[in-house]
Amino acid sequence: MSEIRITGGCQCGAVRYALLEQPDNPHICHCRMCQKAFGSFFAPLTGVPPESFKVTRGSLSTFRSSDPVERGFCRDCGTPLTIHTIGSNRISVSIGSLDEPEKIEPTRQYGIEGRLSWFGRLPSLPGDKTTEEESPDETARIAASNHQHPDHDTSEWPPPGMGA
Amino acid sequence: MSASRLSGGCQCGAVRYAIAEPPRVVAICHCRMCQKATGSIVWPYFTVARSAFSMTRGALSHFRSSAMALRGFCSACGTPISFEADGEETLDLGIGTLDHPEPLVPTEQYWVSARMLWFGDMAGLPVAGLGDRLPADEVARRRPFQHPDHDTAAWPDGGAGG
Repeated sequence: MSEIRITGGCQCGAVRYALLEQPDNPHICHCRMCQKAFGSFFAPLTGVPPESFKVTRGSLSTFRSSDPVERGFCRDCGTPLTIHTIGSNRISVSIGSLDEPEKIEPTRQYGIEGRLSWFGRLPSLPGDKTTEEESPDETARIAASNHQHPDHDTSEWPPPGMGA
Repeated sequence: MSASRLSGGCQCGAVRYAIAEPPRVVAICHCRMCQKATGSIVWPYFTVARSAFSMTRGALSHFRSSAMALRGFCSACGTPISFEADGEETLDLGIGTLDHPEPLVPTEQYWVSARMLWFGDMAGLPVAGLGDRLPADEVARRRPFQHPDHDTAAWPDGGAGG
């Protein structure tokens, strides 16, 4: 019998988590709270009941962004990981922190009052060449020394020999 | 007198910064490093001279994400703030951390090889949850502890928790 296990974590790998059921309501939120917490234009989120969210390495740090809401992140690298309305039967994770974000396509958008006026123009910005084509040397340099945790669970992290 | 001063910071307000020159580049990056660092699927950023960047409150914490660069964030609330490549006279900052992000319209996109297949569909998604039409008691219950979108003389202001 196959068991659902969808994994993710922060950039440095100090915090890893698993979702034990298929997350629902994948969405993006444009509200100014999500913008600032993510340092971005919007937050892509999907959620599960709290009992289906397990931290499998390290621990979340939290910031109480308002009385009802706690946001979880990694204190070692900053990656925004969770948002939880205290007492609710749901915890959301950031889609970008999932090991396979492409599989979790957003289906709704929230916080439209905060949406930046030019949001819809982003996909058509110039930039058709890949970075591998435009900057092969820099691409290789990053790939050769990437300190980001890989997009799967690891038994030990960081591996011996990798500088902090 | 600088007409182009930009200010910004993290969600909780422990880290605040100021920029004294107009951005040189305004772009979005789809690479997997930016995705994971920000928990998102794209990183909107702008580039300025390091000489024009100053911290006005607190200090950035850093993670060395590769041998060539540091990423700065707030260790008190997690907000991802900067990308700082070694040896460069410029650094990149997240547009969303600016107090007024709207005027910085991205003009380029990078790492399209890592772009989510559904990136272009997001703007057309059904809209839900109009946060600005909540009843007054719900607005009060959700009173934010987020730093306001301008500099403050003292923070937290006494009313904020945390």
